[in-house]
Amino acid sequence: MSEATQGNVPIQSENDIIAARRAVRDLAARLSFGITDVTRIVTASSELARNIFLYAGAGVMWWSISDRNGAVGLELTFEDHGPGIPDVELAMKPGYGTSRGLGFGLPGTKRLMDEMEVRTEVGKGTTVTVRKWLRK
Amino acid sequence: MSNKGRLNGKAVVNGIEGLGMQAFLAAIVESSDDAIYGKSLEGVILSWNHGAEKMYGYTASEALGRPVGMLVPAGSPDEVPQILERVKRGERVDHFETVRVRKSGEPFDVSINVSPIRDGSAKIVGASTVARDITEPKRLREALTQRAKEILEVSTPVLQVWEGMVVAPFIGTLDTQRAQQFMERLLDRIVETNSSVALLDVTGVPAIDTRTAQHLIETITSVRLLGAQAVLTGVRPAIAQTLAHLGINLADVVTRSSLAAGLRVALDALNLKISSQDGAA
Amino acid sequence: MTNQIISVVRVRDTLMVTLPADPDDVTVATLQEEVLRAMERYRPRGLVLDISGVETLDSFFVRTVTETSHMVGLMGGRTVIAGMRPSVAITATQLGLTLHGTLTALTVDRALDLLNHPRPRRRLS
Repeated sequence: MSEATQGNVPIQSENDIIAARRAVRDLAARLSFGITDVTRIVTASSELARNIFLYAGAGVMWWSISDRNGAVGLELTFEDHGPGIPDVELAMKPGYGTSRGLGFGLPGTKRLMDEMEVRTEVGKGTTVTVRKWLRK
Repeated sequence: MSNKGRLNGKAVVNGIEGLGMQAFLAAIVESSDDAIYGKSLEGVILSWNHGAEKMYGYTASEALGRPVGMLVPAGSPDEVPQILERVKRGERVDHFETVRVRKSGEPFDVSINVSPIRDGSAKIVGASTVARDITEPKRLREALTQRAKEILEVSTPVLQVWEGMVVAPFIGTLDTQRAQQFMERLLDRIVETNSSVALLDVTGVPAIDTRTAQHLIETITSVRLLGAQAVLTGVRPAIAQTLAHLGINLADVVTRSSLAAGLRVALDALNLKISSQDGAA
Repeated sequence: MTNQIISVVRVRDTLMVTLPADPDDVTVATLQEEVLRAMERYRPRGLVLDISGVETLDSFFVRTVTETSHMVGLMGGRTVIAGMRPSVAITATQLGLTLHGTLTALTVDRALDLLNHPRPRRRLS
C-alpha cells in the first residue's frame, strides 16, 4: 500500500505552525533529503506558515511529492485569504529583514528553497509555492 | 535503387529489399533492442515486440490482452493512470525514469517514452511505449557521482593541524553544490575536533566570481555562528580587488595574504606560540 | 506532545538555559520570561543558551533570542549561545539571520570559559 503523495495542514493557530513544521520534517526525512536540506525546508515552511498566521490569521499549507523527469521533490503551497502583499518587489528585496520583525522573510526563504512563486492580490490573499528537489 | 515517392513533402522510400512499407516498419520495431509495445487508452497491451519479450520475459502471446499495470512492481506508486491521462490529452512522456518488473519478479530500472497513437483522422486511439533498461547506465552514473564526491572530498579536505585548529585549503572554483557540501563538512569537522579556529585558505583559487564569494562569506558566517573563528588566508591582491568590486564588506572578516600569516593569527587566538628549540623565539 | 520544557539552572554566577528540540512559539516566548525572572533573582554575570538540541531555528526564534540577549546586556550580563548545530548554522546564515553582537560558542563548556575568563578574549584583528 503506497503512502500518500499529497495532503494539507490547516493553519489557524500558533500551534498549527509547529504542526506544519513537523509534517514537513517527516516528509523531507521520508524523501531522504540530507540533514541540512531538511533543516532548510522546515525553516522555510516555519517562516511561511508563520506569515499566514501573523498576517492573515488563517490559511492552509498544501504539500505534495512531485516528480519532474525522474527527479523527486517536495512542493509546499501556503495559501491564505488575508490582506495580500502590496509591494511584492519590495518584499522580495534581500535585506528587507526578518530579524527586525519587518517583512515576510521572503528573500531568505527563497534562498533556502530551489523554487519559489508568489501570487498575491491586495484584499484577496496570498499564495506562496516553494519546491526543493532531491539532488541525484 | 528504390522508387522514391513523396508524402507530406518528405521523400519516402517505397519499400526496401522487396519488403513493403508496413512490413519494413514492423521489421524496424522487431529488430530493436528496446521494448516497444502498444496499448489501448485503457492500458491493455495490444502489441509487444521482441525487445519487450527479452526485457520483461513475457512472450507476445503472454503479454497481449493483459493490462500494462502488470509491469509495475507491487508496492510501487502506479503512474500508469497518470501517463495514460497525459497521452489522452495528446502529450508525450519523455525520458521518464521509473521501475518495472520482469516476469521473474525481478524489479529493474527503466527509462520510458510514451506517445499517443493517432488514427487516420488524428484521433488518439492508443499509446506507444518505448522502454529502455537503464540498470547499467544508472549504475555507471551512480559510480560516477560517487567518484565525483570522493574527488570533492579529496580536493577540499578539512585538516586538523593542531588541537583547536582546522585548515581547509580550497582548490579550484566553488559551485553551489560543492560549496554546500564543503560547508557541511567543514562545520561538522569543527564540531568533531572541538576547534576554535578555522583557516580557509584560498591560495589555490584562481578566480573568484560573485557566487564563490557569496559562498565564502556564508561559510565564514556559519563558522562564526557555530562559535569558532574563521580566518580567510591566501587572499591575493587580485582576489581582494574582485571582492571589493563586488561590494562585499570584508570589515568583519579576518583576512591574511598568506596561510603562514593566518597560522600566526590562529596560534595567537589559541594562546599558543611557536618557539625554536635552541631557546630563541 | 514532545518535550517543551526549558531548563533554567544556575551554575555559580552563570545562568544555564537549555532549549528543547523543536520549541513552539509559546515555549520560545516563555524563554524570555524565565530568563528575566532568573536574572532578577540571581543577578548572574552571564547567560548560556544551550541550543545543541534545537533542530529548527526560524526568524521568530532568532528575534526572541536576540531580544533576550539585549535585555540581559541591559541588566549587566553577557549572553553566549552554545552548541548550534551545523545544519542550523548553515540554514540560519542562508536565511540571513546573523545573531549580530551575540557571542557564540561551540559547547557549553567553552561558553562557560568565555564568560568566566578573567581576561577579555583576545580578538582577532
